[in-house]
Amino acid sequence: MPRNEMVESLDLDEYKYHFVTKDNPVFKSRKGLSEEVVRQISAQKEEPEWMLDFRLRALEIFESKPMPDWGGDLSTLDLDEIYFYIRPQDRMGRNWDEVPDEIKETFERLGIPEAERSVLAGVGAQYESEMVYHSLREEWEEQGVIFESIEDGLKMYPDLFREHFATVIPPADNKFAALNSAVWSGGSFVYIPKGAKIDIPLQAYFRVNAERMGQFERTLIIAEEGSEAHYIEGCTAPQYSTESFHSGVIEIIVKDDARFRYTTIQNWSDNMYNLVTQRAYVHENGYMEWLDGNLGSKLTMKYPSCYLMGEGAHGEVLSIAYARDGQHQDTGGKVIHVAPHTTSRITSKSISKGTGRSSYRGLCKVYEGAVGSKSNVECDALLLDETSRTDTYPYIEIDENEATIGHEATVSKVGEEQLFYLMSRGLEEEEAMAMVVRGFIEPIAKKLPLEFAIELNRLIELEMEGSVG
Amino acid sequence: MANGVTAAEAGRDVREGVDDRLEAFLAGIDEPGFLTERRRAAWDRYLALPMPTTKSEEWRYTDLSDLDPEAFEPFPPAAEEEAAGAEIPEQAARLLEGMEERSGVAVDVDGAVVHRRLDPELAEKGVVFAPVRRVARERPGLLEEHLFASDVAPMEEKLWALHVALLTGGDVLYVPRGVRVPEPVHVLRWASGAGRLLSSHTLLVAGESSEVTWVEEYLSPDLDGALLSLSGLEVVGGDQATVRYLALQRWGRGVRHFSIQHIRTGRDARLSGLNVNLGGDLARDDVTSHLEGPGSESEMLALWFGDGEQHFDHHTLQHHAAPHAYSDLLYKGALTDSADSVFRGLIRVDRGAQLTDAYQTNRNLLLSENAHATTLPNLEIEADDVRCSHGATVGQVDDGMLFYLMSRGLDRKKAERLLVFGFFDEVLGRVPVPGVKARLREAIGRKVGI
Repeated sequence: MPRNEMVESLDLDEYKYHFVTKDNPVFKSRKGLSEEVVRQISAQKEEPEWMLDFRLRALEIFESKPMPDWGGDLSTLDLDEIYFYIRPQDRMGRNWDEVPDEIKETFERLGIPEAERSVLAGVGAQYESEMVYHSLREEWEEQGVIFESIEDGLKMYPDLFREHFATVIPPADNKFAALNSAVWSGGSFVYIPKGAKIDIPLQAYFRVNAERMGQFERTLIIAEEGSEAHYIEGCTAPQYSTESFHSGVIEIIVKDDARFRYTTIQNWSDNMYNLVTQRAYVHENGYMEWLDGNLGSKLTMKYPSCYLMGEGAHGEVLSIAYARDGQHQDTGGKVIHVAPHTTSRITSKSISKGTGRSSYRGLCKVYEGAVGSKSNVECDALLLDETSRTDTYPYIEIDENEATIGHEATVSKVGEEQLFYLMSRGLEEEEAMAMVVRGFIEPIAKKLPLEFAIELNRLIELEMEGSVG
Repeated sequence: MANGVTAAEAGRDVREGVDDRLEAFLAGIDEPGFLTERRRAAWDRYLALPMPTTKSEEWRYTDLSDLDPEAFEPFPPAAEEEAAGAEIPEQAARLLEGMEERSGVAVDVDGAVVHRRLDPELAEKGVVFAPVRRVARERPGLLEEHLFASDVAPMEEKLWALHVALLTGGDVLYVPRGVRVPEPVHVLRWASGAGRLLSSHTLLVAGESSEVTWVEEYLSPDLDGALLSLSGLEVVGGDQATVRYLALQRWGRGVRHFSIQHIRTGRDARLSGLNVNLGGDLARDDVTSHLEGPGSESEMLALWFGDGEQHFDHHTLQHHAAPHAYSDLLYKGALTDSADSVFRGLIRVDRGAQLTDAYQTNRNLLLSENAHATTLPNLEIEADDVRCSHGATVGQVDDGMLFYLMSRGLDRKKAERLLVFGFFDEVLGRVPVPGVKARLREAIGRKVGI
């Protein structure tokens, strides 16, 4: 098929999630952050006293911590202009018919009900501040799997919830974890019982629709001994002229011999500040894998981390970042070796195009006593234009002599020889470029669920159009 | 300001309310006004700047909170003439053995020159090898452009300013255009005396198409208190010049050594630097290669072996400002006992510095359970047609090799140290000056214990 027809047949806009749904919330907090807003959120959710206290304490911590002066430029982020809480509907749906029409339409356009029918074990959908839909296939429910909105998790399983909540990421961890702790709303509560193996993914969709919206979802996942599961989140928002803000906290506890994979594909519109804290505790012989795809947002600062707490635990971070004009992807991963014979690997691939900037920032820490630990970090960056920028900032701190740690990074542009070769085989320059870029991210893309891999490939194809010659 | 005005004259009238501490230090010394003015400006900067803390990224792993530079009494900037007859300490004299072949040699004791020699043939060709203050008096034109002119990073500025203000002594080596200095020029800097501050500076200016090798060696006995050493090195490599320098730091215990080194490369110049850290309680090297000339090259090498509670901190910057330049960094360290080390390196490629080739490697060996290594190899790339890579490793000596050596009758420690020596050889192999290489091997062998 000739090149142009091929692109047209993909039927893609520059950013296909621009559509806006009519804004008709049942409750909207005042702009900006205050104790009053925090109390309102807690009251709207009819929370127990301890949670309100937790939120208020977190608010104090947030206010006491300075804005980070590293990473991306946060000087234009004005929190006084942000709505911290918007409640789109009265109660959450268990099937699509219960979801209000406008919201349903949004998710239908994102293809969620369709995906649920075909390939997913459970689906959650968050619109503005609240989960609007949550469902789980019966077969998993029968096995004792819990997949609820975080609010329902707190209501229905108060003891289990309180035992684990904020144990992996306490509010004092960083300024934005403190902010999330104060105003969190929405997100999932997931419990995989001992030995349960869910072989198809659980999925959550996050959608910000309103202007100047702050979304602060909070997810808590407990994978019991010997269990296995895969959780996917996808994020989109329409384009406004003002900035929006997303700051999630994801806590995961991977118990002995459990395996868990968490996949994020964020394709926020490019006026979104995306500052997320994601961390997993991995116990004996547990296996945790973060698959982190950052394609959208104005600025993302996100470093999924694995704390390897039990002997033989393994942590893995696969990170892919694509920074286009005006975007800064400050991403990477952290692996902290606490127990002996723990292993980890971070693989990062980034592409910078136009005036885009992608930065790898990572930490590998080995504590004394973590004997026999092994860690390997590999970062590769591809620069497509002379205005693009890439940075690599790894931190490697080793307190244990019986450990083997390696880090490698390369930066390159698409080789003239590669392009020449492909063009000599009859490809147009754009196609050749797209093929090289696809080859570059292939090691990570192949681990993505099919629909995301296709999406990623399409995006790259599209981006190459008009980028050369 | 006119040269030849003494510090005392320049000071009293022109500047009222100037800080007394610096003026007391300068009282009665004879140096050109421009030098004194640079000291005063630096002293003002020093007073205005806060001491770096571990809150800054640059000093995160090196804690200076117990360092009060003003508690150290600076060695006075002694005149060369007065000190010329001073006795060379016995240990330093011994180190001069085997240096007969050098093109130039100098020995400083506590900042004062006690011995100096330059091949007369080179002097005839216009090579200048003399103390900073004498050159300031006799050939100020050689200094005004380059001395203390380096673009020092903000977080290094406090100590740099103190170094400039309280300069004790140091050398200028100027090699005119087209002149080749056949053998190394070698300086021994000896200091002793707990509670003292030594600030020594080297300015190395290599003219177009010239070639020179510079070696500086820091020595002291083990001290029963602290000595503060502030050292500065500025290298200006002219177009097509070839410059090699080696800094061998073998201070005794008690010394805290801060070295700031700035290397500038002209078009097609080839520069190579090696820092070896063996001694002292604390050593921090901050080394910057400014690749300013298209087609230039900078090789940056370092070795360290830390034992006891030694702390070594290495900061490097490979700044590619010009296209088609090449830089290659290889830093290797081994640590035992409770020693720790930091490597923080950055490759920065400016927009427009196309066809850059830049590499950075840091390898660490940990030989004991209480040793710590931190490594932060960073890249900031703003040009797209580049080849850049970096790698860092932390590990142990290879079990299989250890087993082999022990099976041949070596005890564990001996075998381990032999392997460390082999680990260092990758760097030593790149030192193209046989006489110097042997000296480095000997110093390292002594420290490592083989």
